[in-house]
Parts: sequence; structure tokens; C-alpha cells
Amino acid sequence: MAAISLRTELLRLAVPLVKTHGFTREALAQSALRLPEPHKEPLSEAAVTSIFGSGDDARRTLIQAWMEAAVLNMKSKSTPPSLLELLESRLKWNEPVLGHLPEAFALLATPKFSSLLPLDPSVAVRHNIHIANEACNLVGSHDIGVRRHLPLESRADVSCITGQLAWHRKRAAAAIAYAAAELVQLAQPESPDVPYKVLKQQLDRSQKALQSVEEVGLFGQYVARSWAGIGKSMGL
Amino acid sequence: MHRSLRQLRPLVPKAPVRLSPFSSVVRHNHQHAPSTSASSSATGPSPNLSSGEPQGTRTTHFGFKTVPEEQKEDLVRNVFESVASSYDVMNDAMSLGVHRLWKDEFVARLHPGARGAKRCIDVAGGTGDIALRILDYAREKHADRETSVDVVDINGEMLKEGFKRFKKTMYHNTPQIAFKQANAQAMPEEEFPSNTYDLYTIAFGIRNCTSVPDVLKEAYRVLKPGGTFACLEFSRVNNPLFGTLYDQYSFSVIPLLGTILAGDRESYQYLVESIRKFPPQPEFAKMIVDAGFTTGGMHEGKGGTWTDLWGGIASIHTGVKL
Repeated sequence: MAAISLRTELLRLAVPLVKTHGFTREALAQSALRLPEPHKEPLSEAAVTSIFGSGDDARRTLIQAWMEAAVLNMKSKSTPPSLLELLESRLKWNEPVLGHLPEAFALLATPKFSSLLPLDPSVAVRHNIHIANEACNLVGSHDIGVRRHLPLESRADVSCITGQLAWHRKRAAAAIAYAAAELVQLAQPESPDVPYKVLKQQLDRSQKALQSVEEVGLFGQYVARSWAGIGKSMGL
Repeated sequence: MHRSLRQLRPLVPKAPVRLSPFSSVVRHNHQHAPSTSASSSATGPSPNLSSGEPQGTRTTHFGFKTVPEEQKEDLVRNVFESVASSYDVMNDAMSLGVHRLWKDEFVARLHPGARGAKRCIDVAGGTGDIALRILDYAREKHADRETSVDVVDINGEMLKEGFKRFKKTMYHNTPQIAFKQANAQAMPEEEFPSNTYDLYTIAFGIRNCTSVPDVLKEAYRVLKPGGTFACLEFSRVNNPLFGTLYDQYSFSVIPLLGTILAGDRESYQYLVESIRKFPPQPEFAKMIVDAGFTTGGMHEGKGGTWTDLWGGIASIHTGVKL
């Protein structure tokens, strides 16, 4: 097995161990016992440092690998799922390791270099947007409304811009809904059903809000075209 | 002397010690000081003579000079025999003591003793710098008194210095330390069996070896599955301005210090030149991967195969045998 693929393989084998060992260097060390030709002992600290990084860097590597595995799990759905089903499956992925997640997110949010801020808030935003983007792509929401084959001046027309905004709006709405649901999941681990209800409510509300915005946009286009027609008839 | 011994090699039957054509191994544990055995010390395989090819068909670098491959070991041996007694003083003078920080960082990254006793081998570790740090780290951080280190060096004089150093420590007369004379490129299997060691270290020594791939191959052989290879070596400075200053310092000040402190300019000139001939970090990382080791990403820093120290003046490369 090539060197780089062995590293990937070890990470893949370490992900199921997060349930029992948490996002720790121990989980990475134990992964060697699950190789096709298993080692007799877990990897040493030197070996974990060599392959995955020293100190908490190795733990961050494991957390990233776990998150990528979550996305792969979303992609593995055989029947075309809805956005709700995809986000629910992502919430379900959290359940076995719920107790370890707060520390994992705190570790990711800790700035790697000395900074004025004790936490890096962009990590949480990027996490939710990434999940929302993957989920929206999987339900087929690709069109960003940019008609690249047209000249620049044509691309600036209102319908084109509206399409681009819709792309961003869908993802923002999904990200906000998922963030709210995940927050409830972390804050109330004793109520496993509540996050799913929150997710559904948030998605419904955002759907209605999106519809309202689109209707307002449509009405605005109608009004703008009317004024344009009036202006032309007056010779402006 | 060495060349005539090698020429006699096909006619002389293999003897256990002095006339053996292959690397001779003398085990020097804590009870016995290593004897100076330059004439019988590891001469290593000589592909030209043993295969009947004419001398000088394969060459290598000795600093900025080009020399026949079979001569490099003797030349390097002469250098280190010359510098052995003042090696530590010179290291302090040349690096202004910084080499101690580098070695501390090197050993700290390896966490010896963190998961119980480990069998370590420190190659080209004659004066015992790294070995002592490994044992001290295991003892102080993890209360581990079972980790052991085999110090291996081709040069008897350097091993003598190491033995003297260890006589002043608590590890003298314990099974935790042993001194062995052998060639890093061809360690005899009866003395260094395969799949034996948990940790293989080589600090500021690999650039002096004739064939780096052979050293890596031997390292892979003697390590257990899961064992770690770690190399601390001078490397390439990436910043052009800093690199220029470093070159000026290396080629002007260090040989001068060699003259003043050790009375040996030539040897220190070689040491400085040999640094420039060693492959840069990514190339050496690729050699480690080619030897079969699993490494981090092909980049410097966190999760990477190497870590630069002081802008690349020295670099730590690691790999794991999986």
C-alpha cells in the first residue's frame, strides 16, 4: 500500500473508534490494530506524531477525517433524498459521539496561533455552510444562474442576479436550520427527538420565507418593467 | 593500508574480527570501553573491488570534492577521528549552543517512554548526545527506567567519547545503554536482527554516509512494524536573505573556529561542505517514502513529513514502518 494511502486508511479505521476513545491520539494509535495485517501493539506516540502531527494537530486531523466521513455518509444514500432527509442523516451521524463533540468543536475553534480572540468563530460558520452546501448539491440545487455564454451586459440582467441570490439563499437557509438543530442536539442530549423537530420547523420557515422573498422579487421585477415601459413611452 | 587489506579480501577467509571484509561489530556495553579499532572498523562493502571492476568507476561527493565511493568511508572516518575529542565543544562554538535546543526538540517530538519501555537505536550517535536525551526524557517525563538505547557508530573514537560521557551518568552499568561499532549502511543481521527496534534515530550523521538509500533500507529492516524512523540533519535554508547570511557564517567562521579550537580546518571545511551536498527537504522526504516508510503529508510543518528548525538550518524528518 502506498505511504499516503496507508495514512488515509489509518484515518478511516480510526473514525469508528471515536465512539469509544473520543477524538484522541489514542484512537489514532489504536487504528493500527485494525489494519488488514494488524499490528500487535497500538502505534507509539512518535508514530502518531510522525503520521498525523504533534499534540492537538493529530486530534484536529482526526476530527476533519470524521467530518469528511459524515459527508461521504450523506452521499452514500441510494434513493434520491430530500434536503430534510440529508440534514437529518447528518444529525444522526453525530449521535454516537455526542459527548465528544463539544470538545472537538472547541479544539477546532481554538486559534492555532496567538490571537486577540480566544476563539475563532468562523470555524462554526464554515462547518454549517459546508454541510448545507453538500446537502444542497446532493438534492440537485446546482444552478447559480450565471449564464457564462452570454456577454457581460446580459449577465447583469435581473433574472440572472436573482438566480445567483437564490443559490446563496438556499444554502444560507439550510445552514441556519442545521446550525440551530445541531446546537439543540448538543445542548439537550437527553432529548434525542427535539433536534429533528427543530430542523423541520426551521426548514419549513425558511422555505416560506424564501417563497415570500421570491414573490416580492417577482413583483419588484413587474414594477420595474412597468416603469421602464412608461419611461420609453415618454421618450426617456 | 586499508586498500591492501581490501585487495586481499577474496584470498582471506572470513575471520571473526580483524580481517573480516564486512562490517566488524564490537559490542561495547557499559563494562568495557570501546577499543580504538580504526583498521578493523567497518569498512563496508566495496562494490568495485568485490565485483572485479576497476577502481574509481563509481564516485560520490566528499564535501565539494568528488572521490571514489570506496574512499569516502575512510575519509569520513578520518574526519571524525580527528574531531572526536573536541566534537561537543565545537558544536557549541559553531552553533552558539543552539544544537542543544535542536536535539531537545528532536527527542521531545519522539516521546520516548510515553507508552512503556522502548528499544531504541541511535545510529551515528557516537558521543551519546541523543541517547542520553532519550533516556533522560523517558525517566523524567514518564518514570520509565526500562527504555534502552543501542548507540551505533562506525567510528571507534566517537564511541569512546560517548562511553566516557555515560560513565558520568546513572545509566552506566545498566542494561539501558550499549555501544556498538557498525556501518549504518550494512548492519550485520546477527547483531541487529530485523524487526527489533521501536525507534531509530540518526542525528547529524546521515549526510556523512556514502549511500543514504542503503541507510534508510537498513533502518526499515531493523525497525518493528509500527516503529518510527527519525532523522535530524542540517538542511536547506529557504529564505534567500537568511540563507546568504548563513552561508557567509558557515564558510567563513566555522572553518576558522575549527582552526582555532581544534587545530583542524580541513575537517570543519568538510563538515560545512557536506551540508550543502545533502538533498533538500522534499527530496529527502521522498527517499524516506521510497524506502517504504509511511509519512505525513509531503510538506513542512504540522502533519508534514518534515519540520524545519530555525528557518531550515536543521530539519527533522520522520517516517513510520507500517
